[in-house]
Order: sequence, then structure tokens, then C-alpha cells
Amino acid sequence: MSKAIVTPLTQALAEGKLTREELKRFMQRSNGPGLRRLALWILLLAFTTTLITLSWNSWLLWPAMFLQGVVLVHHFSLQHECVHYTVFRTRWLNDLVGQICGLIIILPHRFFRYEHCDHHTYTQLTGEDPELIPLPKTLGQYFLYLSALPYWRGKFTEVFRHARGNLSEVELRFIPKVEHKAVFWDARRMLALYGAVFLAMALTGWWGLIWYWIIPLFLGEPVMRFVRMTEHVGRPTVAQMSENTRTNLVSSPMAFLCWNMNYHAEHHYVASVPFHALPRLHEKLKDHIFVEKGGYLAAHRDILRQILRRNPGQKAEV
Amino acid sequence: MVSEKPWRDVVEASKLEKNWVTRIEIGPRLIAIYDTPSGVYASLALCNHGGADLCDGYFDGHVIECPLHQGAFDVRDGNPVSAPATRAMRVFETRIENGMVQVRL
Ligand code: FES
Repeated sequence: MSKAIVTPLTQALAEGKLTREELKRFMQRSNGPGLRRLALWILLLAFTTTLITLSWNSWLLWPAMFLQGVVLVHHFSLQHECVHYTVFRTRWLNDLVGQICGLIIILPHRFFRYEHCDHHTYTQLTGEDPELIPLPKTLGQYFLYLSALPYWRGKFTEVFRHARGNLSEVELRFIPKVEHKAVFWDARRMLALYGAVFLAMALTGWWGLIWYWIIPLFLGEPVMRFVRMTEHVGRPTVAQMSENTRTNLVSSPMAFLCWNMNYHAEHHYVASVPFHALPRLHEKLKDHIFVEKGGYLAAHRDILRQILRRNPGQKAEV
Repeated sequence: MVSEKPWRDVVEASKLEKNWVTRIEIGPRLIAIYDTPSGVYASLALCNHGGADLCDGYFDGHVIECPLHQGAFDVRDGNPVSAPATRAMRVFETRIENGMVQVRL
């Protein structure tokens, strides 16, 4: 008998955590919830953009840019949902919105899709999960990661490597050969577009996008690093989905910003379930997964405790 | 080209999951049977990207989406619709005769 590979979903079905009928219901797609949330999203962006304009000549510009940045970096969450085709029922809408998000946060959509596949196949397995964030060994490493400096260094290296027509050993594992050229051209198009944007700003003398987009993006990225650490960092590096992933119960504004990706273990169990159904899936699976009731802050307290346990000499109030 | 393979009864049409995908075991093979608005189609059940069972995936119209990475295929001709699916999946000629779904295997 040809056998399907074992996945968290096949296990959940086999163990009766989820029935086939429930699965079918949870997976149903529609465009309505995604379009409604996207409309609110655009309003929120318009609001933070207005704050920047209003605070242009005062020190308030910096907090306004930070706020804008927090929203901008959460385009990662929307792009992530689009990679899974779970924002809209209409498939091309997911591709379109995902591409736009990728341009905003400098993350080529196709490349991210392939990388993310291996993250789902080998979640939290050292050496195999290309998105694994190791538990920092020291407080210094922890804060360095949160600064987003290593993240940006990695991202820029990656995009330029692809634009030059090269892939790393790890990337060769998850990008099929037929897609290599497309990945290279995605990177080149992206860099060309950014180049054109900067040229247009130079020619017109209007450098507004630096203040509305570029600086906010870099100011906000530490927040995304903070959020992303809570998904797996500090959880055991084992294959069991019930162990290796953390679901964080967060406030509704934060859940709005991250497109419900705080229900991370549920998402890993059944990646075909759209963002709007994840809270319902949580009710079904909550006794079978690791849930951090205290949200992002409690997840970081846990991470810090683990770091300090390794380094009893370092002190911090956690 | 006309297939020389014989038609095989695989399942009663009434037992198919309506507008969805049904998993069938035929000898050593796992087959996915799709009930669609334009008729019944069949393919190998295991995704050619990473081996996940397409029968646990999301089915919409004529597109089956893999549950593991959301790669997708058109069940009418097996062609890939979305990455990470890049190769056509194997499909089989399918028909309904006297209430039985038959597949050329
Ligand atoms: S296993 Fe089916 S898309 Fe990857």
C-alpha cells in the first residue's frame, strides 16, 4: 500500500482530535472575512500615515513612525496567510496581496512560499527547519536578535544572492530546480523596483517614502522579531506539534494585527484553515496543544527564564 | 490516445462525498475520487510534492489543495495550479456506469 506521510493533521485525524466533518467545516474559504479585514487594515494604515503627516515637524514624528512600522511589519502575517491561500477563496487574490506584502517588507513571495514549506514539514527540527530561530544562548544574543540586525543582514544577503543567480545549500533543498530562474528574477525585479522608487524620489526631490515606509519598517521590525520568537523559541526541538509550537492568547488588537497567527499550533496542525476559523479550531484543539495564556509577554518571560537558567551569572527581572 | 487499461468499479457514486474528495484504496494504491460540478475525476491520492494525502485537503470546484503546503492541482487534467506543486499529478479516466464510479487503472 502506498502510504501518505505522517503529518500533524493525519495524526490529529487518526487520534480523533478532529473528525473529517469538522476538518471540512474549518477549511471552508470565502472572500468576505479577508476583504473586510483588509479594508480595516487599509484604514489603519491611513490612520498611522496621517499621524506621521501631522507630527512632521515635531519629535512626535518618531513615535508616529514607530506605530506605522508596527503595522507595516505585520504585513508579514498577511503575506504568510496568503502563502497558505487562506485569506481569500479566490486563489489569485492571495497571490496578488501576498506579492504586495512582500514588496512592502522586502520578502519575495515565491521564495518565502518554498522556504515556508520546509518550515511546516520540519517544524523546529535543528538543521532541517529553515525558519528555526535557535534559543539564544545569552542575554546579549537575545537582544541582538530582537534588534533585527541579524534578520536584515540575512534578508539582504539572501535577496542579493538570488539576484546574482545563486542559491545556498539549504535553499537548494527546498526550491525545485524548475523554479530557480523564477526565484532569481523575482529578486532582480524586486531590486529594480526599489531602485526605480529611489530614482523617482531623487528626480522629484520628494523623499517622503523614506519617512512613511523605510524608516518605519526598520523601526518596527524588532516588534515582528519579538512576535516571531513567541511561536517556537524555547519550545522543545522535537517533531511533536503538541510540544514544539506555542499558541499565544493575545488581546484582540494584537490578534487583528497578526491575522490570528497567535493561534500558531492550530495553524501548524491544519495549515489549510483560514485565519478567521483559527479561534474556533483553537476551541477544538486547545487541550492537545501548548497554550501560553499570558500571551507574548509570558512567552518571552519563559524564553528569558530558559536563557538565564543556562547562564546563572546573568541577572534580569523576568 | 485511447487507454487500453480496463475499467474498474471503485465505489458506488452515491457513497462519494458530495462536491468533495473521497479516498479509495484499490489494491496497493490510494486513489482520490473528486465529485465536481462537471462530473467525477480521479487521481493518485498522494501529493507529488511531498507525499501528503490530498484526500485530507481542501477541495473547491475543480481544484484540490494539498493539506501540507497548499500546493494545488486541477483534477480535470492534473496540472499544477499553485506552487509548491510544479509537476502534473497522475489522473485517471473516470466515468459513472449504473451508479458505479469506474476508473481506468
Ligand atoms: S506535500 Fe503537497 S504541496 Fe507539499
